[in-house]
Amino acid sequence: MPQIVSVKAEYLILVSFFMTFAVITNAFYTKKQFYPSVVYLTKSSTSLAVLYVQAFVFVVLLGKLVQRIFLGQLRAIETEHLYDRTWFSVTETCLAFTVFRDDFSPRFVGLFAILLFLKCFHWLLEDRVDYMEQSPVLGPVFHTRVISLSTVLFLLDYFFILSAYSHTIARGASVQIVFGFEYAILLVSVISTAIKYILHTIEMRTGEQWENKGVFMLYSDLILGSFRVLLYMIFMVVMMKIHTFPLFAIRPMFIAMKAFRKSCSDVIESRRAIRNLNTMYPDLTAEELATVADTTCIICREEMLAQQSIKRLSCQHIFHKNCLRSWFQRQQTCPICRTTVLRPTTPRGAAAGAAAAPNAPAAGGAAAAQQQNQAPNGGAQVPPNGANTPPSSSSAPPPPSSASSSTIPPFFNFTPLNSTTAQGSTATISQMPFGSFPMVLPPFAFPPPPLPPTNFTGMSEEAIRAMEGTELAHVQARIQCLRNVRTLLDASTIQIQQYMNIVSTQSNMENSSNILKNLNNDVNQVFASTENSRVDESDIEHIRRRRVELLANRTSSSPSTDIQDENSNNNHA
Amino acid sequence: MALKRISKELQDLQREPPANVSAGPVQPTDMFNWQATILGPSDSPYQSGVFFLTINFPTDYPFKPPKISFTTKIYHPNINANGSICLDILRSNWSPALTISKVLLSICSLLCDPNPDDPLVPEIARQYKQDREGYNASAREWTQKYAM
Repeated sequence: MPQIVSVKAEYLILVSFFMTFAVITNAFYTKKQFYPSVVYLTKSSTSLAVLYVQAFVFVVLLGKLVQRIFLGQLRAIETEHLYDRTWFSVTETCLAFTVFRDDFSPRFVGLFAILLFLKCFHWLLEDRVDYMEQSPVLGPVFHTRVISLSTVLFLLDYFFILSAYSHTIARGASVQIVFGFEYAILLVSVISTAIKYILHTIEMRTGEQWENKGVFMLYSDLILGSFRVLLYMIFMVVMMKIHTFPLFAIRPMFIAMKAFRKSCSDVIESRRAIRNLNTMYPDLTAEELATVADTTCIICREEMLAQQSIKRLSCQHIFHKNCLRSWFQRQQTCPICRTTVLRPTTPRGAAAGAAAAPNAPAAGGAAAAQQQNQAPNGGAQVPPNGANTPPSSSSAPPPPSSASSSTIPPFFNFTPLNSTTAQGSTATISQMPFGSFPMVLPPFAFPPPPLPPTNFTGMSEEAIRAMEGTELAHVQARIQCLRNVRTLLDASTIQIQQYMNIVSTQSNMENSSNILKNLNNDVNQVFASTENSRVDESDIEHIRRRRVELLANRTSSSPSTDIQDENSNNNHA
Repeated sequence: MALKRISKELQDLQREPPANVSAGPVQPTDMFNWQATILGPSDSPYQSGVFFLTINFPTDYPFKPPKISFTTKIYHPNINANGSICLDILRSNWSPALTISKVLLSICSLLCDPNPDDPLVPEIARQYKQDREGYNASAREWTQKYAM
């Protein structure tokens, strides 16, 4: 596509030259003399249009020539930027024309064209210097070009500012004020580009990574950005006083302010991050480094050695201190997990996350000892504390130093109850330091009601309120539980009574069955004796006599023996 | 530091070359300018295309992202005619923990799943959303025309 465009541009240039030639020869051919033909050319609007186009072509060609001298071949990205910015600039120039329509003249248009022309080269210079960052091997041609171009631009800007200043002083406020400010802003941009160029060159000369370069860049951006914003502000005020609201300057002013704000926050945040790095995070010792599995610094991809300064961030990731410092000049997050280093984070989370945290061992040891003391009370249902601690324990206040953290055992951390679910309730119990609740599980099917923590200090208002809500539910559950116990007790007493009844009736039945058996025997004996009596009528009288005797005996002895006696007597008989 | 790290990345790439992706310096003397190739992922309309990219490392790499652009023309909502790639990790979300191979794999996945909500070429993004078949056909056509 660019190939077609360039071919077309060449054709256009040729056509323009041809038309100019035709117009001029036509003028001389008709007027014959120099002066009348020039008058004709300036009066005829067709020929004037052709001449303007020709002037534009000359400007473009001149631009190409200057570009060839100072910049050489443009890179694709430079061309892209140039076109984008040119369009914006042309629109803004047209807006400026509307403000200064009274001053509108060919000279005025010419001045704007020169401004635009110079602006283009400022942008190209900026891009060229930025390119230095990507390509460290640059020949002397590059340096000569950049230095000469920036010098030329600087001088031109200075010259135009001076002329605008003298013009304004001599003839009062006019459109020259706009040019004065525009060139002043361009001058600032030349200076900032030159500073960047110097910094890059110094870095290249030293050959090594220059750690302070980022700091210098930040501060130069800040200072020059403030200059730029100040200039735009003054420009706005002056323009409002003299002419009208300068609509055409809104966009660049907004961009300058945004850039300034960004460089301000960059400076502040990078300073804060680096200060945090120096104060909040202690250097890793050799022993701590030995416990780390992967000792490659992810930033420079080199081994971290004990004699180097190594930092561990709150997210437990470790890096070279120098690598982190360079990174924090640009962004203030952990390179691996993007956790910000600006907000004070909770070392509590660190202590829960890894036992290797520097201040954990003392507190951890105390915790273990206390847990062993609890073991007889709490029984085997109290698991080790660390296993149950939720990983996101951000609610606890962070112990500021190792001294205070050792006085506060880490398992005093009461997790907010809204996070304790049905399964979590057992975890809550097991987290409690005092095993004062012997966990005798009732043999019923319903789960045990959750028990509240013993200490309410260190809990937020919300957590307590939430706990009040859950407490109500717990009390209700406990009442329900007691009711169930009562019904079961009632049922069992009824069962016992029934059992007693059954036992008593069974013993009664045993007695009666014995009596029945004896009676049956008696009856049998009676029947047998009657059968015998039929055979032997004389015995009846004998038996009757014996009965009378037995009855007489029975009055003197117990009835059971009497019966037995009677039986034996009957058998004898 | 930049040079050391770039050399390490090159070593890693040669030791464990990632699938469908290759990269290396254009000239062995200049470690800061690389060329990379990406094979069109098989589940995308760019299938069996070979796409070339240029990689320019800044001198303060890895603190600044590398500049990566396609040299092969490609029909994609997030890649424009100049080959510029709209990918967050190449701009604001860069992290020194990222490497060239990770970035190239991200570009591979961008080929599979374009992000039409943050487009660089709005027309293609609209087509991708409304007329997927048409988008697939155009992407295939461009792949055959420029990347084979």
